[in-house]
Amino acid sequence: MSATGTQAGGATVKERAELALNNDFLRKAVKFTTERLRAGKENAAADHGNWDDWRERGRQIRLHTIAHLDYYLNLFADNARANGVHVHFADTAAEAVKISLDIAKHAQAKTVVKSKSMVTEELHLNHALEEIGVEAIETDLGEYIIQLAGETPSHIIIPAIHKNRYQIAELLSADAGETLAPDTQVLAGFVRRKLREKFLEADIGMTGCNFAIAETGSMVLFENEGNARMVTTVPKTQITLMGMERIIPSFADLEVMATLLPRSATGQKLTVYMSGITGPRRDADADGPEEMHIVIVDNGRSLQLGDPEFQELLNCIRCGACLNACPVYRHIGGHAYGGTYSGPIGAVLTPALKKNVAEWDDIANASSLCGACYEACPVKIPLHEMLIYLRRRKLEAGRGDKMEALGMKGFAAVMSNAKRYRAVVKLGQLGQKLVVRDGGIRVKLGPLKGWNTYRVTPSLPKASFRQQWKTMEEEIRHGLQDMDPAVKSRMEQIVKDRESGKGGHGHHG
Amino acid sequence: MAKSEEHQSWLAELDAKSRAKQAGFIDGISGKLKRPRVTAPPAHPYRGAPDFWKAFEWPLEERIAKFQANFKAAGGHTERLASMEDARAFIAGKAAELSARYVIRQNQPELNGLGLEDAMPDAAFSVWNSDPQEHWKARAAEADFGIVVADYAAAYTGSVTVLSSKDKGRSVSLLPTVLMVIIPLERLHTRLGEILIDFDRAGREHLPAGIHFISGPSRSADIENDLTIGVHGPGVVYALLVG
Amino acid sequence: MKVSLFITCLSDALYPRVGEAMVRLLAKYGVALELPSVQTCCGQPAFNSGYWKEARESASTIIAAFEDADFVISPSGSCTFMIHHYPKLFEDDPVMLEKALQLQAKAYEFTQFLVQVLGVTDVGAQFPHKVTYHPSCHGSRLLGVKEEPLLLMERVDGLELVPLPFANDCCGFGGTFAVKMSDISGAMVTEKSDHVLETEAEVLVGLDMACLMNIAGNLRYRDKPVRVMHLAELLYEGVKGA
Repeated sequence: MSATGTQAGGATVKERAELALNNDFLRKAVKFTTERLRAGKENAAADHGNWDDWRERGRQIRLHTIAHLDYYLNLFADNARANGVHVHFADTAAEAVKISLDIAKHAQAKTVVKSKSMVTEELHLNHALEEIGVEAIETDLGEYIIQLAGETPSHIIIPAIHKNRYQIAELLSADAGETLAPDTQVLAGFVRRKLREKFLEADIGMTGCNFAIAETGSMVLFENEGNARMVTTVPKTQITLMGMERIIPSFADLEVMATLLPRSATGQKLTVYMSGITGPRRDADADGPEEMHIVIVDNGRSLQLGDPEFQELLNCIRCGACLNACPVYRHIGGHAYGGTYSGPIGAVLTPALKKNVAEWDDIANASSLCGACYEACPVKIPLHEMLIYLRRRKLEAGRGDKMEALGMKGFAAVMSNAKRYRAVVKLGQLGQKLVVRDGGIRVKLGPLKGWNTYRVTPSLPKASFRQQWKTMEEEIRHGLQDMDPAVKSRMEQIVKDRESGKGGHGHHG
Repeated sequence: MAKSEEHQSWLAELDAKSRAKQAGFIDGISGKLKRPRVTAPPAHPYRGAPDFWKAFEWPLEERIAKFQANFKAAGGHTERLASMEDARAFIAGKAAELSARYVIRQNQPELNGLGLEDAMPDAAFSVWNSDPQEHWKARAAEADFGIVVADYAAAYTGSVTVLSSKDKGRSVSLLPTVLMVIIPLERLHTRLGEILIDFDRAGREHLPAGIHFISGPSRSADIENDLTIGVHGPGVVYALLVG
Repeated sequence: MKVSLFITCLSDALYPRVGEAMVRLLAKYGVALELPSVQTCCGQPAFNSGYWKEARESASTIIAAFEDADFVISPSGSCTFMIHHYPKLFEDDPVMLEKALQLQAKAYEFTQFLVQVLGVTDVGAQFPHKVTYHPSCHGSRLLGVKEEPLLLMERVDGLELVPLPFANDCCGFGGTFAVKMSDISGAMVTEKSDHVLETEAEVLVGLDMACLMNIAGNLRYRDKPVRVMHLAELLYEGVKGA
């Protein structure tokens, strides 16, 4: 595994995408699952009704919380501490790892059982634990599978989305020391038995955090398998790693998140388990952790604060809906993105967290800007626009492609002057004669190479619209019908409303 | 288990460090937001669900029907029973049918006088935390049946809510193979929000360590999006609506 | 009442027949379109690639070209939506910002204008063919043009509209994306034409020539004889034939 968590080979998104595009199985597996999840989400949203009102509510709650994050995070930390939690603050990944290892050492831990946490992936915490001789065991079924495979998750919600049951049976058979049938019940049954023992003997339970409630100092986990409950119930010590932006003010606000998150992620009305953990076990309790730590992690998140183009990124509730909606993700899978987070959110979050757009080279280019991510997002993050901002910032940082820059300069010169524009069209009409066959261009050369590998380019017609305009205009003026007076007055009203500030039609983007 | 003094002093040291760091960490956020630190509660005009939702409530019969439909759709089982005695008979019948050998239940007043133990003479029966010497997590882990009375239920999502306490183990609704949840009808609400609001009202000091919403059997779709039931938590869950 | 045509580069140079269909169709309702000759490109290729300085030059040209128009109509949801980005481009220039907002308020995609402003849903056309419709992302998702084309097609005599599977998925064009990430784009357009072929429609119709050029190019590359046209063309052909 490289430092960026990439295992898909290739230095750029383009190269890694090519590998994925040539892996027919991966494409089919990812397509199949994302299509089901996407349909599930759409049905759940329609069934619930007023979906856009809920999205707007979710957005407002997240906007409000992030805009007052100093207040709410401070309140959360104070309340969690009052509940008996040991709260820690980590500016960087290294600091968060150091704190976690320190806790593990003092607990004399041999094993850590983990429930799914993207933050710990971001920190490469498993690796760090192994280095001090602590076994870290992923207990989410999908995470367990990819841990056996030595890979990283390729989807926020379905980590092993890129594997089929035969590959999984092979991995689990090797783990079991016997041949397991490629049957989901058999495979899941094996993991249940195996991990049961691990839960009962583990010294530390480690979790992420879906939401942290400021007013009560509680942390909330959504899951389906029960492993997060195991991890927070059985071991003596619990460590929770949470991104500093996971905060919501109250349990009342949790209702909105609980409405948006499961429906957007898997199409469920609620995940099988939603747990609110408020401090370690009470003295008289007979289960629950005796010692509980919450590590609040920055690791680049605060860089978005006060940045009007990117602050909304912190509103993300990690549902994965943008991955399922994304036509690019569907074709290339998660590993091609080369970071912990994949899909549209990953394409923006990865460079944003590191503020090093240039090093992520073409990650922001791996999008057709179709806006499906924005439409799917339960808190309406304009990812499609953020991708453009990233592209612009890369240029502003002086890391653009020289040839492209030259081309764009030429573009501007032509497009700021209609005469030059007309001359270029004319040039094209003449120049294309060399390559046009049968009304189309098929040569795979120069800029047309990639395009014409999949398409035939149409040739320019003899006369452009402008070149035909004069005749056309004369003809229509000659035979023009009278306008319906009702339509005419409506048009006049629209113009009037617009001028008085009432009018103008907005957009959805 | 009493922690060693050394361990306690290490924890105290960590907490001192954390408090010292907190001020700078939070001030850093204010600085990035380009304004002085906010120390008074900000007005939060969007708290909770949209207004149209807060007024939404189903009549009892509809709550029952929707709860059952949702719980079943998630792979759970439901029964509507007239009395606690019927619940006892139902659970005993299921225990016999599934040959339950080990049974654990919460130490709840509704269950204490019910005589479940007598109704299941063939099962080894434990009552959560009734003996401080016992290894309770192990008792729950070996149990075929776990029996709990829900604190709340929500029809709209088909969820039951259980709160932890000295007498109510988190393990009892988690570790057994089969989970039996008794829901007194007066605890069945329409929306999640009707339940969640109680936690805001109670306030931090009065919350239990564990609040768990359970909406069916444990499941996973991590292998080829194929639904598997009973991955880590109970694979068979009965919600018994009583009243 | 001055209604100006924002022809867009593609419809000007490659698909003049689309502009012609719009012009002749609207003339039937007493709308004599004007064509400000100083207009060029909306600037989207530069804007989306991050070249905002260059995009501003294009945008200024467009803003000037349509300053005195009451309504601006274009055959592309994507180019129309680009106009909605102008305020962001000029957020630090109050004078240009005001002009950008004015242009945004009066810019309409063709079917938006036909349905919302002229109130027309039945153009009196006949088109006895099996048709499928690809809603382009920027027009439908971002500009919000969803119902208008469907209302118009519903009332075309003989037209059988076959739903396109996964219709809302991007065709893979994405401007420079198709060149920079040509293999991903190729996979996307191949999937899109597969869905078009599944419908067994004779005609694929849409509201954006860029997307249609992309899909048509792939269909032609695969020798699939599906006719690809802009809805304005279909309506105008249907009116002539009626």
